[in-house]
Amino acid sequence: MNVMTDESRPVLTRGVRLRADPLTGEPLLLYPEGFLPLDAAAHGILLRCSGDLTLAGIVLALSEEYEAEPDVLRADVVECLTHLRQEMLVVW
Amino acid sequence: MKYRPYLLLAELTYRCPLHCPYCSNPTRYPDGRELTTAEWQRVFREAAELGVLHAGLSGGEPLQRADLPELVAAAHEAGLYTNLITSAAGLNQTRFGQLKSAGLDNIQISFQSDEELAANRIAGAAMHRVKLTAARLARAEGFPLTVNVVLHRDNIDRLAEIIVLAEELEAERLELANVQYYGWAFRNRAALLPTRGQIAAAAVIVAQQTKRLLGQMRILFVTPDYYSDRPKPCMDGWGSRYLTVNPAGEVLPCPTAKEIKELRFDNVREHGLGWIWHESAAFNRFRGTEWMPLPCRECEFREVDFGGCRCQAALLAGDASVTDPACSLSPYRDRLTAFVESAQNRQTLDFEFRQNP
Repeated sequence: MNVMTDESRPVLTRGVRLRADPLTGEPLLLYPEGFLPLDAAAHGILLRCSGDLTLAGIVLALSEEYEAEPDVLRADVVECLTHLRQEMLVVW
Repeated sequence: MKYRPYLLLAELTYRCPLHCPYCSNPTRYPDGRELTTAEWQRVFREAAELGVLHAGLSGGEPLQRADLPELVAAAHEAGLYTNLITSAAGLNQTRFGQLKSAGLDNIQISFQSDEELAANRIAGAAMHRVKLTAARLARAEGFPLTVNVVLHRDNIDRLAEIIVLAEELEAERLELANVQYYGWAFRNRAALLPTRGQIAAAAVIVAQQTKRLLGQMRILFVTPDYYSDRPKPCMDGWGSRYLTVNPAGEVLPCPTAKEIKELRFDNVREHGLGWIWHESAAFNRFRGTEWMPLPCRECEFREVDFGGCRCQAALLAGDASVTDPACSLSPYRDRLTAFVESAQNRQTLDFEFRQNP
């Protein structure tokens, strides 16, 4: 599998949709025949997977929003996106 | 919300140009004409209000419905994720354009094998090349693609080649679905059940190829329950997360629930979907754990597998309210084991092909 680099540009896989649950408002990732409820951290990452930002850009944006250390944040973002890639929910 | 439907399987028609002997459609089709365009539009709106997120547009072959693009549009406009579950018969360039405009989210195409002759023999129709063309068109049109292959005695030895085919078609997802023995498949189960050795070899191939294709194609494979000690958590519990509306408008907790002869299923022509989901006798019959007999009632897995499959209990034990005979704790497991053992050295048998309504 492709390892993420700072230049990787993650996007939602074709056919994967980010939506709010119409009944509860909680963020969901929808894919064929299934869905994944998202916590705030994963939601924040996926909102930035539009193809406009590289991994480095996503980490920078999140570190400003959460006032967190980029190095610590980077590891969490890579872990989250790698897991989602294995499920074919994001690609880069 | 303890009981909320997340996925609606919309069986738009039971008509299909293919005759696969493993079809889970009923062998006795319901009376009554197919739901109209307007009736389906109402079903999709009511489903979305109930909390449904997904609409699987299925059949039979859903492309047999001339109004399919309108139905996809209705589901899409209701806010549902739309997946077309198709044999690809009739899926040409014009149709792709219409479905794209309608907002279709995903296309799932079934294949019977990687080899043309074998595939056409199993389908009872010369469809393999049509499917290849349609799958490539789906890619060219930018649709996400799921390849679905039902595995059985006659094609499971081609598993490695089948995975390569899905890879060549650039599918995001590959569903390797072992036959579930209901409907036409139950009639053909002696001809369809793989041997223990075939299942073991398949599991090794799946493990290797899943690793190789990690991050490129998601492979889904579940060991068939005839070869398991534990029953499957069928539908994640009766009337818990899924509902099916059949072509005649009957609402079922699962696509094969008509195997349970003692139940009467309410129809969207007579009741709203919300009433049927919450109040109807059929949906409440096996909800929760109150209905359970022994050994389920005192079993530590009762909230894990929910007693297994009610349809399988009806088919194999003649009583939908007993423990699924696939469970090693079922008093009827011996019957299933005897059948499985009788299949180990069997020669090839002829299929009884699926007939149309």
